[in-house]
Amino acid sequence: MPRSKVAWRRLVFVILIIVSLALLTVTFRETETGPVHSVQQFGAGLLSPLQSWGAKVAKPFQDGYTWFRTIWSAHKKANELQSQVQALQGEVVQLEQQAEENQRLRGLLDIHDKGTYPSGTTFKVAHVIAKSPSRWEAWVMIDKGTADGLRLNLPVVGATPMAGETLAGKGLVGKITYITAHQARVTLITDSTSSVAATIQGPRAEGMVEGSLSGSLFMNYVDRDLRVDPKLVIVTSGYGGISPAGIPIGIVANVGEEDVNPNKEIEVQAFVDFRVLEEVMVIVLPEESSSGS
Amino acid sequence: MVAIVLQTMLVSHISVLGVTADLFLIFTVVIGISRGSLDGAIFGFVAGLVADLAFMQPLGIRALTYVLVGYFVGMVVVRFGTVGPWAVFLIALGASFSAQVLYGLLQFVMGPRAGFFTILGVQILPEALLDALVAIPVYVLLIRLRVIPGPRGVEPAVSRGGTE
Repeated sequence: MPRSKVAWRRLVFVILIIVSLALLTVTFRETETGPVHSVQQFGAGLLSPLQSWGAKVAKPFQDGYTWFRTIWSAHKKANELQSQVQALQGEVVQLEQQAEENQRLRGLLDIHDKGTYPSGTTFKVAHVIAKSPSRWEAWVMIDKGTADGLRLNLPVVGATPMAGETLAGKGLVGKITYITAHQARVTLITDSTSSVAATIQGPRAEGMVEGSLSGSLFMNYVDRDLRVDPKLVIVTSGYGGISPAGIPIGIVANVGEEDVNPNKEIEVQAFVDFRVLEEVMVIVLPEESSSGS
Repeated sequence: MVAIVLQTMLVSHISVLGVTADLFLIFTVVIGISRGSLDGAIFGFVAGLVADLAFMQPLGIRALTYVLVGYFVGMVVVRFGTVGPWAVFLIALGASFSAQVLYGLLQFVMGPRAGFFTILGVQILPEALLDALVAIPVYVLLIRLRVIPGPRGVEPAVSRGGTE
């Protein structure tokens, strides 16, 4: 009995193996429309509603699991992204500052390239480290001094972001009026004590650009008979030995005349915006070509 | 019937580590453990056929695999006697691993090819582990529901129809 049981078991096993192999063989050998495929398609058709219902039943649980999983990773991701955003914002600010500095320095380079200077002239770029605290005086402190080859009365030019639609943003800033080994004070052209010999391009009218307590610039001693139109460019004339000729100062903003005054009253709008001055360039003229005022 | 319903309606939609448990295989293993090699082979054959229908695979491929699994699991249990939950885990792990390797070999012969070690890492091992983990509660539940008899003691070889 036991032996027949074992034999029976083995027989069933072998039969099942043979049937499986036969089914497999027939499945591969017959065409898509064969009987085995037809049975398979019929069986799949019976089971597909179960699968569809199963998908619907399982979906809320799947969604719930997915929701928990994504909430956790979303929270983590949000924190990471926030840190990245902060870092990137910092970088953006830095890059914007660098771009502005680049623009200013290009402006200085422009003055360097386009001007005409005596032979032996060198240039020193310096940063503005302080500004005058009141309107009584108009000056800026720079971070270069005698140790860097600077000396008194050297002209200083600057470049700032666009101060208006037609202004170039670069031009004469002032001159060095006080100096130490590593710092120098530059008196601005808007200072009430400043006076620069200048020329109006076009009519070639000569005069003096002077500052005022209000910070405005005026060009005086221009013959009233000369025709001066607004928006004409005013440049240094080179007289006086402080600034070389041709350095832009500003444009004619307003022209006025008084009957009793033999000169015109010309209001000048400076190219440089002194409120946002950050870098300047000192024109280090050869010693024999510069002199005090 | 239960395996069919659960597998098609529910288990196939729940993925863990990218794989789903194979209830057909698990039930085959449990039946083989509790009822012996003959019942395991027959159940495996039927379950395999249904799986082939449900998963639209060549008819007979899973039937062949599960027949072998059911039969040899039954033989192993007869040889070693009683089984506890940990034994069910190990047997299910081995059975699932072997079934998948065999299935992979058949697939390799018949059609799609993929790197063995790739398949081992992303399919065979994860599914073997998952099947083994699911097999324990399924085994315990079926015993509780008296669908299958509980663990047997070691029986003399004579009364069980000799060794195989």
